[in-house]
Amino acid sequence: MPVRLAMLALFRHPARTLLALLGIAVSAALLLDMVMLASGMRENFKGFLMLRGYQLRVAPKGTLPFDSDATIDSAAALVAAISRLQGVTAVSPILGAQVQTTTTGDSTVTAFTLGIVPDVQGDYEMVRGQDLTDSSSVVANERWLAVTRHTLGDTVTLAVGFDPQLRTVTGERRFVVRGVARFHYIAATQPTLGMRLPVLQQMGGAERRDRASLIMVKAADDSMAEAVRTRIAGLSGRISAISLEGATEAVEQRLGYFKQLALVLGSISLGVGVLLVTTLITIGVNERAGEIAVMRAIGVAKGSIVGQVVMEGIVLTGVGALSGIGIGLVTAQWLEKILSDFPGLPTTFRFFVFQPRDAGLALSLLAAAGFLAGIYPAWRAASLPIAGTLRREAVA
Amino acid sequence: MTRQWSGGLLAALLWAVSLPAQVIDSAPARSPLVRTIALDARLATDAGLALGDTVRISAAPGDSMAERAVVTALLGRRADPSEIARQEYRARLHLDQLQRLIRYGDRVDRFAVRSHGDRARTTLLDAINNAAFGFRAWPSADIAVRTSRTFQVVRRFNSAIGVITIVASAAFLLCILLLKIDERRRDVAALRMMGISAGTIVKSVVLEAGIIALLGSLAGVFFGIIVARIVNWHFQGVYRTTLAFTLITPETVLLACLLSVVLGVVAGWVAARRLVGVPPLTLLGR
Repeated sequence: MPVRLAMLALFRHPARTLLALLGIAVSAALLLDMVMLASGMRENFKGFLMLRGYQLRVAPKGTLPFDSDATIDSAAALVAAISRLQGVTAVSPILGAQVQTTTTGDSTVTAFTLGIVPDVQGDYEMVRGQDLTDSSSVVANERWLAVTRHTLGDTVTLAVGFDPQLRTVTGERRFVVRGVARFHYIAATQPTLGMRLPVLQQMGGAERRDRASLIMVKAADDSMAEAVRTRIAGLSGRISAISLEGATEAVEQRLGYFKQLALVLGSISLGVGVLLVTTLITIGVNERAGEIAVMRAIGVAKGSIVGQVVMEGIVLTGVGALSGIGIGLVTAQWLEKILSDFPGLPTTFRFFVFQPRDAGLALSLLAAAGFLAGIYPAWRAASLPIAGTLRREAVA
Repeated sequence: MTRQWSGGLLAALLWAVSLPAQVIDSAPARSPLVRTIALDARLATDAGLALGDTVRISAAPGDSMAERAVVTALLGRRADPSEIARQEYRARLHLDQLQRLIRYGDRVDRFAVRSHGDRARTTLLDAINNAAFGFRAWPSADIAVRTSRTFQVVRRFNSAIGVITIVASAAFLLCILLLKIDERRRDVAALRMMGISAGTIVKSVVLEAGIIALLGSLAGVFFGIIVARIVNWHFQGVYRTTLAFTLITPETVLLACLLSVVLGVVAGWVAARRLVGVPPLTLLGR
């Protein structure tokens, strides 16, 4: 009964109700987007780091992986020591370096290059061709092939640096492009190469001898990751062992702006929605004051009147929110497209991730807002003086 | 003390600028003097350091190449959006000392070169790039454009959020004004019965709606200023910076008021036309 009465009250002014629904739908869309942004980024980043199941990252002390040019020295000994730790199932050392390729004429292309151990690497997946078969093989991403105009099977000369005084390149070596790979943690717009770790260390000379930029560690299972992290941290004072949670928190701190924005805008959306619905229903109650007084006069209980008015708020908010989910998903795509232009962002990273839990949270918040919005007008409706209201209506 | 640090930094910068003309010296002698260092004020606070303290600095914990330095300046955080999200501490050392500590040899990451005017800059860029091998000169403006891409994306994102907010606000504003004017049914009916023309009623309602919208937007601007202050106070505390996170410019105020008044006038006109189209007795519910 309260639902039917609430629907009748809302259909009495279709233009007004439609406008209110539109406003609530857009607010609900914004709220959903903000919930998706706030929680999606974290979940997405966790999944992103766990692509190959490595729960731990070891970086030079006080840095995040590839956040600076700092490297870990005596990498081979450290990798061996980590491998011996209880609960460790795989260790993948990685060295990052800028490598130059000479193209047509004198121009050069600088590629970010990863030195990896093929058996345990977790940085790329092959798209076509072969993986690193020997020390003279490299794998490249599509971007590198496009800018250098090389194809699979080409022999290329790579160098790790320049000597401006002698006008020569340093650490030069010839390679065969064996395969095309998709690098998980590197932007698709960045020309990227992968080669065997010892080869890149050797090309870098004394500066990169036995060095690694990052070591990824896989624990036997997730519950052991923290214990393994503590053991790794105890191995050396020159390294930071970072867990999945630690890395996620660090990235969240960097992208904190978006989370804060999501919180502020989400709260404003809810607040404005509550105000609108409250105003709308209060005016509706004022307009129907005579009817409500008559209902009370013929014996309708206060609770029933309150139920009807509160239900009006919930129905209005609920219908608006349901329509808002569709709008929210469309606007999330639009916003994702804008944010995907962030420089250096890996292609697999997403800011907005739809999870039924998010939609549920947004809907619950809006339902609560609808309920709150109905409380004041319901109290007004229930406390109308019957005789006075009827008299005023009759005079009017 | 500050003067001494400034002079030292200037010397380091000058040395950096003149590096290409210098003979490579891969093993500079270790200075017997204790050098000066400028520390991030946040680091000084967190580590309990003060001006005049001597610190031991090295590239890595336990490094045998550690040296001592006297803290002679504290650096405030620049109001630079690119540094906001980065929580690491910054320090300024003399160039030669840093090169020695990190075993960087006679190398620098970049030079800043000042030229006399646009023509000199172009000539200089050409001259450097023609002679360059393994490095390249860029005009500062180009670098600014490249490095500002992040903020361009953030700006586009904020604009998109702004559009969504405006759509929601417009619907709310139209709805509220329709309600407000709909409440005047009996007044409008009385005016019509007194012989006031429909045009005059529409004009008066539109004027009323415009005034309400203007007053509402002015109140909104006032509320916005307070919220902006709270937001700036909160985030400046969180990030320990003087950067203004929200700015209310005259253009923003003008846009908000204009948009609000236009929407108010449109809503007023639509509602008034609906009201004057209904017979007065019907408006009175007879």
